[in-house]
Amino acid sequence: MSILLSLFLKLSAFSLVAFGGVSALLPVLLNLAVNQEHWIDLQTFSDYFAIAQAAPGPNFMTVTLLGWHIYGVIGAFVATFAIAWPSSILIYYLQRFILGIKDPHKKQSIQYAAAALAIGLVLSSAWEIALQINHGVAAYALTLATIAFTLFTRWHPLYFIALGAVLGLFGFI
Amino acid sequence: MSGFGGVLPWARRTLVERDKILSSEEFSAILGICQIVPGPNIMNLAVCVGSRFAGAKGAIASILGLTIGPVLLVLVLAVLYDHYSYLESVKGVLRGISAVGVGLIASTGLKMLRDEFQYPAMLLVVIVTVLCASYFHLGLGWVVLIASPLALFLAWNKAHKV
Repeated sequence: MSILLSLFLKLSAFSLVAFGGVSALLPVLLNLAVNQEHWIDLQTFSDYFAIAQAAPGPNFMTVTLLGWHIYGVIGAFVATFAIAWPSSILIYYLQRFILGIKDPHKKQSIQYAAAALAIGLVLSSAWEIALQINHGVAAYALTLATIAFTLFTRWHPLYFIALGAVLGLFGFI
Repeated sequence: MSGFGGVLPWARRTLVERDKILSSEEFSAILGICQIVPGPNIMNLAVCVGSRFAGAKGAIASILGLTIGPVLLVLVLAVLYDHYSYLESVKGVLRGISAVGVGLIASTGLKMLRDEFQYPAMLLVVIVTVLCASYFHLGLGWVVLIASPLALFLAWNKAHKV
């Protein structure tokens, strides 16, 4: 029971600092779950990350799967709820406040500032997650190829996920 | 449930183009707010859109509608994973997908970064954030606390210039 409570409290706290969404949160989550609390090993965490990427639905599913690993179905729902409730309450009140700001400069400033924070967090997240879960040159090459193709083409991300799955199936990664 | 690779484009198509619940500008304005507050972006969007039509009840209904299906599906996948994760081919597939997944996150960040070049001073915020998080390994709360005064200051200047 105490493990469930600790999961709930830690994830709730993360919810309020996760500028850039759950993607920005992944390295912190990994560090907490793998290195500090030993809830899960690194391999399983990476596999859950992959499952969450490949499954349809929002990208916070890594959190759901972590909850599942720790405490079954209840854990999954507790984790999902914990990551969502603080920020949901925050935005419920904040959206009226922000939409109500009349001064366009003020509104713009808040948006620019938050965007810059989000970019920094998402980029450093990608960097740290890559260091943790990519093993070998082939994995890094695939990551870089994905970045290049998504930046310069308009292909749907699902194609890249399928490609990664096929390459992995034949043992290239 | 059909939100492969993120739900946002699909949300836009349904809400704006098909059901005409929101105008395109309204959707962009709401999305702008949802992306700046912390937390899962799509949950935030659900709260905003839901509460617009039915207050707190609408917000809760939207969140439940958006999460329950995918959560159940991903749990089925988790059970399958528990049974088959020992297979070398399954391990390979997941390794491939996670390498792509990292790339997708990085390119989300890089796409947003492109917009910052119209006011390069803002790149300083990005650099400070990355340094705090990845070089000094500070906790996420500290990173946000350290970087946000600078971010607000530069954003204020940017808003008055651009």
